[in-house]
Amino acid sequence: MNWLTKTIGASIGKKLMMAITGLSFIGFLMAHLAGNLTIYGGKDAFNAYAQKLHTIGPVLKVAEIGLLVFAVVHVLTGVWLFYQNYNARPQKYAIKKSGGGRTVGSRTMPYTGLFLLVFVILHLSNFTFTDKSQTTIYEIVSSTFANPFYVMFYIIAMAVAAVHVSHGFWSAFQSLGLNHSKYMPIIMVLSIVFAVVVGVGFGFLPIYISFQA
Amino acid sequence: MTKTINITLKVWRQNGPQVKGRLETYHADNISTDMSFLEMLDVVNEQLTLSHREPIAFDHDCREGICGMCGAVVNGRPHGHQKGTTICQLHMRQFNDGDTIVVEPWRARAFPIIKDLAVDRSALDKIIQAGGYISANTGAAQDANNITVAQNIAEKAMDAAACIGCGACVAACPNASAMLFSGAKISHLALLPQGKPEAARRVTHMLRAMDELGFGNCSNERECEAECPKEISIVNIARMNREFIKAGFSSSVE
Amino acid sequence: MILDGKVPGGPLAQKWEKHRFDLKLVNPANKRKYKIIVVGTGLAGGSASASLAELGYEVKTFCIQDSPRRAHSIAAQGGINAAKNYPNDGDSIWRLFYDTIKGGDFRAREANVYRLAQVSNNIIDQCVAQGIPFARDYGGLLLNRSFGGAQVSRTFYARGQTGQQLLLGAYSALMRQVGMGRVTMYPRREMLDIVTINQKARGIVVRNIINGKIERHEADAVVLCTGGYGNVFFLSTNAMACNVSATYRCYKKGAFFANPCFTQIHPTCIPVHGDFQSKLTLMSESLRNDGRVWVPKDPKDKRPPTDIPESDRDYYLERKYPSFGNLVPRDVASRNSKVVCDEGKGVGETGLAVYLDFSDAIKRDGRETIEKKYGNLFAMYEKITADNPYETPMMIYPATHYTMGGLWVDYNLMSTIDGLFVLGEANFSDHGANRLGASALMQGLADGYFIIPYTIGGYLASSSFEKIDTAHPAFENSEMTARKQLDKLLSINGRRTVDDFHRDLGHIMWDYCGMSRNDDGLQKAQGMIQELRVEFWDNVLVPGKNEDFNQSLEKAGRVADFLEFAELMIIDALQRRESCGCHFNEAFQTEENEAKRDDKNYRHVAAWEFAGVDKSPVFHKEPLDFENVELSQRSYK
Repeated sequence: MNWLTKTIGASIGKKLMMAITGLSFIGFLMAHLAGNLTIYGGKDAFNAYAQKLHTIGPVLKVAEIGLLVFAVVHVLTGVWLFYQNYNARPQKYAIKKSGGGRTVGSRTMPYTGLFLLVFVILHLSNFTFTDKSQTTIYEIVSSTFANPFYVMFYIIAMAVAAVHVSHGFWSAFQSLGLNHSKYMPIIMVLSIVFAVVVGVGFGFLPIYISFQA
Repeated sequence: MTKTINITLKVWRQNGPQVKGRLETYHADNISTDMSFLEMLDVVNEQLTLSHREPIAFDHDCREGICGMCGAVVNGRPHGHQKGTTICQLHMRQFNDGDTIVVEPWRARAFPIIKDLAVDRSALDKIIQAGGYISANTGAAQDANNITVAQNIAEKAMDAAACIGCGACVAACPNASAMLFSGAKISHLALLPQGKPEAARRVTHMLRAMDELGFGNCSNERECEAECPKEISIVNIARMNREFIKAGFSSSVE
Repeated sequence: MILDGKVPGGPLAQKWEKHRFDLKLVNPANKRKYKIIVVGTGLAGGSASASLAELGYEVKTFCIQDSPRRAHSIAAQGGINAAKNYPNDGDSIWRLFYDTIKGGDFRAREANVYRLAQVSNNIIDQCVAQGIPFARDYGGLLLNRSFGGAQVSRTFYARGQTGQQLLLGAYSALMRQVGMGRVTMYPRREMLDIVTINQKARGIVVRNIINGKIERHEADAVVLCTGGYGNVFFLSTNAMACNVSATYRCYKKGAFFANPCFTQIHPTCIPVHGDFQSKLTLMSESLRNDGRVWVPKDPKDKRPPTDIPESDRDYYLERKYPSFGNLVPRDVASRNSKVVCDEGKGVGETGLAVYLDFSDAIKRDGRETIEKKYGNLFAMYEKITADNPYETPMMIYPATHYTMGGLWVDYNLMSTIDGLFVLGEANFSDHGANRLGASALMQGLADGYFIIPYTIGGYLASSSFEKIDTAHPAFENSEMTARKQLDKLLSINGRRTVDDFHRDLGHIMWDYCGMSRNDDGLQKAQGMIQELRVEFWDNVLVPGKNEDFNQSLEKAGRVADFLEFAELMIIDALQRRESCGCHFNEAFQTEENEAKRDDKNYRHVAAWEFAGVDKSPVFHKEPLDFENVELSQRSYK
């Protein structure tokens, strides 16, 4: 298996891991968002969705463990890359300007990533690893969003997520070598569309819920 | 019509790889706008020499944008702000009277500074030595027209082969990565039928060399593509990624 | 002394094959016992290093730049000739041979030129195998274009970057050998001297450009591929580091210098536009395929070119040479530009330029077609001049481009010093008095890929070598001499910079030993050069120290050599009492102002032997026998 560690340990190998894990999070985000949209259907619809989700049992567990492993890989690889990249230029430029390649998303990847990590931990402790025996998920959500500071934090986090995926989406395709002159322009547009969907789709939920309350 | 401008230069001066450097200020007056940037530096150097100060060391050779020897970061942009241009072809008409221009060397761990603006780019040669070739001993070739290459493929290969090895991609990359340089060579040879037999070995070895030489990783910032004087596209990096995945998972090369 | 070119006997077409058989071979197992030094990594040096290492020799390769990929061959734009006859338009080895020898105005060695034409096809095969992305047709086969006045399409090209692609091919072959440990690469080294022991070249002394260390390297043979000396004119299309030092220092050690006055002035360069200018940029000759050269008929006509009606324009090349028109050889095109400018019809701010007009081609083929053919050249022109050649004619003027002269070599490419081989532009061999377009790349690669691998084996196998090391007094002497010169340059501490002297020398050479020469001018120039040389050694200012990355010191050494070499050019030009090719002495011209050869007295190579810096060099000649072609007056009417 020496070849495998050599392959994924190489610079492109690491990118490959970022791309594959990143793409799976994109898939997760889409599913998560689709599920969350049931909030607009009201309290019962949302609770029913949560119930339904738990009935699939082991599959959900596998998916959760998978996501956790991927998250660990994504974070550790990201940190490793950040460290190596930082070290690749020990003496920084006195003046450095962009030639027009970088975007807000690409420029801030490590930082938005770190922020999202904090958010995910908080988010999980708030909504997932919380005692749900006495209450429903909808109540937890609506009570959490009753706190205007948390609403603000959540909205900011969703904006940050949007920025992160605006680069991550197309970048994953590029890293996987899926850059074709016919399709890349579409992927670039989809990248922005997806970022907006994530930002607005998730970001509007707490506002909606706090108005409901 | 010839016009002249006065500018202030802040140039990185450093006596050797181990010593500390600093930005020094010089005034260049009556600079003709028809001059190239390097000719402007020549003028400054003549003045420095005549006033018994050490001229600025900078690499340059062909001065027509093809040898890849020249390169400096001008106001934060490798080879200056003009698109698709090496610093030897950057002309002073791109600047205004009274401008302050900051000139720094390529900065990367893999490119130690030799003196002032001159850096050691032998790392790029080492990447090529690791596999940036087609193993074809002299005399062994068949008739040239026995190998056909579709025109669009030949054109793509040429787009990649246009790399002049100046290192601007590394200088521009926020991670000091040499992916565009490596990707261009790997693409050029992987596209052509002649290059296919050793494609897997090539990409694996070249990439390993690149990693070992202290270059950073690619994070798809696209600064390399934006600053490349030959406007080489990151499509070539994607092709290298593809070649790498193929080599890593479906070839017998380790 | 009559020099022997060692041309093998037999019919022209069989000479090379027979010679290859006659050459002794080095046993494959013994090859690794021989050390070969290659200096320079252009097309000749890169291809020679790689090919010799492939054969098994231990090779040490030196270059002046930071990487072997940057040698000035990289700047060649147009293409490379070969007698493939793919277009089915009547080309053949014989025709390529004939065109080359005629283009050189019958001042090259027949057998060498024929061999060049013979191996031209192998070069293309080799380059394609290496992955050079030559232009191709939709069907995937190679494309050719007509170039530099040839009446057949025999030029292979890779956009306007053929030299770059061919060099990168040779470079990649070289890098492969470096990676395998068969070539040791020494970049950023400047050759200071050749070391001869028992009349054989046995090593070199170089300066490490980064730290000034003087290094000694021994070998069994030395292959010099250090290019031409065009920078003697200060302004030329050569790269800044191109110099005569390596060849000139070999000349001082006993290698004869042949035909130094044969320097090619290329007709299509961007005109000079100021005193600060450091180099000239060539616009590929391919532009003359579609561009029309003209000047206003009336010297007083100062209207913008687009306002000058057809009737007031003088398309002088089309007028004087109806059959070749704008595609006449380089020397003819250059000289005619000078003639019209001397008549006061020159255009631009300095009056030293002519128009190269694409408006008819754009009208005929459409802008898109022209853009596809020359887009990169037009963009480069606009970058340098800020004029848009799609809308207003380009302005061009001749500039020094290539030097046909070089160290004298025999058929084996060996100089008059045993074991010192000279390849590519550094030798004098194949182009005679004028080089045709797309022939330099061909010659560099022919020498490196297909000639030296055989001939060096013949030399090594038939010579005996005593064991030496770099402590030998000959190395000691070379190093001392070099060191002394470096110290001297640093100690003068005068009031003029190196570039200042170089620029002055350039003016002298351009004015008196350029496109058109006469005895008075040449004699005057000789005196001026001598004076300038004296002043240089008295008044040059070289800052810094030797043990450093000192670019002023590097330049100073090169200019010191140019100041001596320039005089040799003048002496050679004075000796040649005829006009031929690019050497145009005004006293020898036809009624139509074309070069007038004197085949009876000057059908020879002039080879000069060094006798001392302020002494006249000793003249030797190699008579040129033409058994297979008839000497004719070149006519492009």
